[in-house]
Amino acid sequence: MDLLLQTLINGILAAGIYALVASGLALAVGVVGIVNFAHGEFSMIGAFVSYLLFVGAGIDPLISLGLAALVLFLVGAITYYGLIRPVLAAPELNQMLLTFGISVALQNIALLLFGADTRVVSTSYQGATIALGGISFGVPPFAAFVLSVGLLGALYWFLGKTRLGFAVRAVAQNRLAPGLLGIETQQIYLLAFGLSAALAGIAGVMLSVMLYASPTVGFAYTLKAFAIIVMAGLGNLRGVVPAAIILALAEAFVSTYVPGGGGWVEAVFFLVIFLALTWRSWRLS
Amino acid sequence: MKLTVTDLTAGYGKAQVLFGLGLEVAEGELVALLGANGAGKTTALRTISGLLKPWSGSVALDGQSLLGVSAARRARLGLGHVPEGRQLFSLMSVEENLLLGAAFLAWPSKSDQLERIYALFPRLAERRGQMAGTLSGGEQQMLAIGRALMGKPRILMVDEPSLGLSPKLAEEVLSTLSQVKKEGVGVLLVEQNVALSLEVADRGYVVEHGRVVLQGSTQELASNEGVQKAYLAL
Repeated sequence: MDLLLQTLINGILAAGIYALVASGLALAVGVVGIVNFAHGEFSMIGAFVSYLLFVGAGIDPLISLGLAALVLFLVGAITYYGLIRPVLAAPELNQMLLTFGISVALQNIALLLFGADTRVVSTSYQGATIALGGISFGVPPFAAFVLSVGLLGALYWFLGKTRLGFAVRAVAQNRLAPGLLGIETQQIYLLAFGLSAALAGIAGVMLSVMLYASPTVGFAYTLKAFAIIVMAGLGNLRGVVPAAIILALAEAFVSTYVPGGGGWVEAVFFLVIFLALTWRSWRLS
Repeated sequence: MKLTVTDLTAGYGKAQVLFGLGLEVAEGELVALLGANGAGKTTALRTISGLLKPWSGSVALDGQSLLGVSAARRARLGLGHVPEGRQLFSLMSVEENLLLGAAFLAWPSKSDQLERIYALFPRLAERRGQMAGTLSGGEQQMLAIGRALMGKPRILMVDEPSLGLSPKLAEEVLSTLSQVKKEGVGVLLVEQNVALSLEVADRGYVVEHGRVVLQGSTQELASNEGVQKAYLAL
């Protein structure tokens, strides 16, 4: 019984950060209409920002969260303005090649600057655990989960209740009408892509504590985020949280109950994409 | 406010659609832009509202050229456009659609505006919580017009509001437009239903092959032999 509960908790805790990364990707796909294969690399940059601030200036990752969000918002905005905007009207294949290229370039720049080693932000609370009865979990995953829930709440509030959030949702649904209603669509795209990168960056800071910073740390998260938004329905933000929970739970259960499951965990997202697409096509036919 | 269009040429790719089109709309008048399918009426509206770049010619509001001004800025200057195909936010509620119409054009007065639109289209008030995509064609058209009116335009361009509507509903929508005109808004109405538009309009332009071939008061147009033959089937 304890094992089941422990597995459930592990899954739920992991879902927070998944939902954060995937919500960012859903913004890029749903609002800007760009399939961003470099999304995980924004997380990687966030992880290195956290690492450098920690090693260089002793800044706690909790504070780096805000700084990384700001840095990544700028990185996202510049990426949008300089690279994405020119290809928005191009065929989808060109757009995907571009974002894939950005991903490869960013990974290799990081490799050049920092080498392939994994670097951990070892805070004093990194190994701390909370024990409740027979189950226990680490402080960092718990804190990451709480922060993710808070940030997602803020994101939904922004999209649902503010005038600017309104405009973001409007642009996602119709490309033509917002301009006629006085909404500068280009600025909304810029904002959405910046937010998308900022969310990935914040998740990256969390990864730097829970996992590590390395040039390739983001790639797995690109794939997982894709699995989640495919499950949620491309660009559908509302479905992201349940889809993230499903993926995280599936991974937790495979890791606990499948013999040798640790090695299979990283393949679960693939099964999830496969099942989601199959189910969707069945439902349509 | 006065919208003045002179010698406008525009098109898509290499296909020229407008060949020196000119027209004028002032506040408080309802002007019909008539013509057959493919005459360039929709293209004219798209060029005027800034969705399409003109090749040459000018669009001006109160004598001020709108060259290089974005569609969003034109909207903020008081130019409204109900585009072809309504272009609603189909996954949002009726009220959210309306609020978006005011969001960046008339946010402080959104509540007054909502009341005004609901008074103009009581059906929208009944359906305020319903998703826009689930409305009937007539209701969608009302919502599209209502959404544009939420931004308090001084000049409103409406593209084919009667398209796909029953004759009774089309009449209802057009008579609402003449009410809007009476409130002081200048309305430029693009219609294929010539008979109906001549009933509500003050004056009109007839467009053929991307240029104005005939203009005048509705009485003049209605009694013109060419118009009667081509559009009124008399």
